Amino acid sequence: MPETNDGDALVGALLSSCCEQVLETMFFSPVLGNVEPEETFGQARIHAELLFHGRPSGSFEVDVTPEACQSLAAGFLGVEEAEVSPKQLDQVLAEFANMACGSALSSLARVEYFHLDPSRVEPVENFAPAVEGVRRAFQLDGGTLGVCLRVDFDSEN
Amino acid sequence: MSMNILIVDDSPVMRTFVRRVMQLTGLDVAQYLEANHGAEALAVAAAQPVIDAVFTDINMPVMDGEEFVRQFRQIPERSHPPVIVISTDATAHRIENMIALGASGYIQKPFGPEQLRNEVERVLALVPEVIEEGDHA
Repeated sequence: MPETNDGDALVGALLSSCCEQVLETMFFSPVLGNVEPEETFGQARIHAELLFHGRPSGSFEVDVTPEACQSLAAGFLGVEEAEVSPKQLDQVLAEFANMACGSALSSLARVEYFHLDPSRVEPVENFAPAVEGVRRAFQLDGGTLGVCLRVDFDSEN
Repeated sequence: MSMNILIVDDSPVMRTFVRRVMQLTGLDVAQYLEANHGAEALAVAAAQPVIDAVFTDINMPVMDGEEFVRQFRQIPERSHPPVIVISTDATAHRIENMIALGASGYIQKPFGPEQLRNEVERVLALVPEVIEEGDHA
């Protein structure tokens, strides 16, 4: 989806920076490169979405290949990939969504306060974006991970 | 000093991560106590004579981190152990509020062993008499 203004470009840069920092610091998973976000559409993915409220409000989503999700969960928990349970897989992706979204929001100068709702995690056979916003995607060891952040500065709820 | 650490977070994988990173810091921990939310943490604290430091999330069901810190600090024998908030939310509004309620420190996610160790050592240094009192190992 084309970005239409400098504000989107700034949010995109912050989103990339925050995601890379979260992935490297807490998941021990370096970003190997950027990929076009549209490349992840239509693929089998594990998807998490959360809403946030405050000033501003908005939403965030993450989609990741099952293989990369397994690798991320193992890195986060410090265990072998085979030891990660399906429940832990969901919980770890929910944590990633929480951290990446919260980190990006905390970095935006115009953000006054926010509250993150719990993430809803589910596998999808043919991924289609649920959130319309600034989108980025990264190549990780084991697959790709996409994120999208929508920030509504004009609303408060 | 070998510490008793209470970790309060509704995410089991986040509690595992905190334990794991604490091990990487090399700090000496005698026992990890865990709770899913603030109300459970208050019950754990009531049953545990010595708690040397607490890590708490903010957004939790049943009782959130704000209410937990407020009630924890009202217990006379729990007025001194350091309480370190671990959160993704690093807005000034949130940090000031948690410190006003009685939190001793604040760590923003993402964080690694170095940040965790630095913050634990910083807040423990602020309460030397409590370190001595809690040096039970």
